[in-house]
Amino acid sequence: MSCDKGSDPERVATPPARGPLKFRVRMASDPRLLPVVRSAVSELAGVCGFEDGQCRSITLAVDEALSNVIRHAYKNRCDQEIELNCQAKSDCLEFTFVECSEAADPSRFCSQPLDGSALGGRGTHLIRQIMDEVCYERLPEGNRLSLKKYLPGGKAKPDRK
Amino acid sequence: MKTATREQTGTTIVDVTGDIDMGTSPGLRKTLLESLKKTPRLVVNLREVRYVDSSGIASLVEVLKEARNTKKRLVLFGLNKAVHEVLELTRLTKVFEIRETEEDALRA
Repeated sequence: MSCDKGSDPERVATPPARGPLKFRVRMASDPRLLPVVRSAVSELAGVCGFEDGQCRSITLAVDEALSNVIRHAYKNRCDQEIELNCQAKSDCLEFTFVECSEAADPSRFCSQPLDGSALGGRGTHLIRQIMDEVCYERLPEGNRLSLKKYLPGGKAKPDRK
Repeated sequence: MKTATREQTGTTIVDVTGDIDMGTSPGLRKTLLESLKKTPRLVVNLREVRYVDSSGIASLVEVLKEARNTKKRLVLFGLNKAVHEVLELTRLTKVFEIRETEEDALRA
């Protein structure tokens, strides 16, 4: 008696479900990790449809924000933790930085007028110039900074008054 | 980030390679300031610099200030799009002497 197992059921390739595009990094506050994050952010921005120049500026803004956390929140300590969440939403790319330092001075996030001779203050200026929304929030155990960049074709940056 | 220094007809040229960020800008600052002490004209080759952030810009500004204080010259050349964009965003394109090529920078 022979057994005919029959042919395998026809398999139809189904593309994997597309979930939200996001990644989370828990990193040491070590500047040597900045290039690693820059690479990931640049790639993510490209995947989201930003053109090269925008990818570069988004990467710069994220790098500046991380540098600010390391320098100001953690006073250049390399052994603290920063949580970076990157998520592509329907209309924007959002980056959230969570750190566990003392309450930040909100004026730190207000960009100062650029003074050609000033050695500091440019980082915050760059962040606000590049990103469409910048929000700071004090948490029970630290601080959270959110940066949003609207996707190409998304809503325009609100006019500043 | 790496630097290499060479001399040419009364000018010191510092070739910079890599990324200038919070981690590497202190080293660049130190190298440029030390080179500036020994030369009337410092030319910085940024052709191989892929990335610069505000800390890198701050280092260059500090060297520029020192050059002006000591009546010396600082010239940058070889800026790619990324570096140009950061200088534009920080409104410093007219503050620095910038040239396209090494030849132009040496003739400046």
